[in-house]
Amino acid sequence: MSNTPNDPFLSEKDHIEPAPMPSDVPPVDELGATSAPLASAAYYLGPACQEYTEDYMLCRSQTGADPAKCLKEGRRVTRCAASVLSQLKENCGKQFEAHWKCLSNRNYQYEKCRTEERPLNSCVFDKMKIEKIIPQANPNEEPVHLKKNPIFS
Amino acid sequence: MNTPIQEMPPTGGFKPIRYKRFLPKKGPSGLTLAVSITSIMAYGFYRVMEGRRETFELQREKLWGRIYLVPFLQAETDRDVYRRTRAQEEREAWAMQGVPNWKVGESAPAYKATKRHIPTNTEVDWL
Repeated sequence: MSNTPNDPFLSEKDHIEPAPMPSDVPPVDELGATSAPLASAAYYLGPACQEYTEDYMLCRSQTGADPAKCLKEGRRVTRCAASVLSQLKENCGKQFEAHWKCLSNRNYQYEKCRTEERPLNSCVFDKMKIEKIIPQANPNEEPVHLKKNPIFS
Repeated sequence: MNTPIQEMPPTGGFKPIRYKRFLPKKGPSGLTLAVSITSIMAYGFYRVMEGRRETFELQREKLWGRIYLVPFLQAETDRDVYRRTRAQEEREAWAMQGVPNWKVGESAPAYKATKRHIPTNTEVDWL
């Protein structure tokens, strides 16, 4: 992210901090997912973990974005995301892999990967009951990811 | 008496003069052209408009894909920043031990900042 203090793009040397997390903070495994699987799963992670993410972002905004004060909420967010990702891999692993590989090859453009996205969407809807909905879209128009004859594809 | 020799028309008279234009008919009429070109252009502009609308929707899709990911990335970043800050404070406490009235993290701030801000490399990771 752009607000990461150790953004490698901005630094001339590696900013490696060897010290582990202090033991008074409960440990949590980081997601470890790269950008393509995250981009592919974004529309399932968001609604599935909405209560945790909203809680966390509210905490952040109320405490003035102090990293020390919202660690608990942040851990919940990460655990929820990890569980959703593992469910996704378990239930729809093949479709998921096809979609994120396509995204990785097509510069993360969702419109270029509709053929891979449709089976993934239907599989996730059948097995995990998460529907892909784009918020704030015009309700009178057909959602852009469901268009039969899109202009850009 | 010699009669004068005068050039006379050929027997049977001259052929009729072709004064009418005999151009072959080329293509459709002007009205047809105007109507068809207008309709083609109208269809093209309609497609352009549809394409622009679809572009907005695609941008919205991309934007929300990123908005949904913000909390997950931010939580990980927060943990990393917290870990680095704690390590830095420990280092500072070790370096400044025995100095009276020294408060770790407060006595020598890198910036004169009144509000909390995202720590930079200078503050967190200078060793």
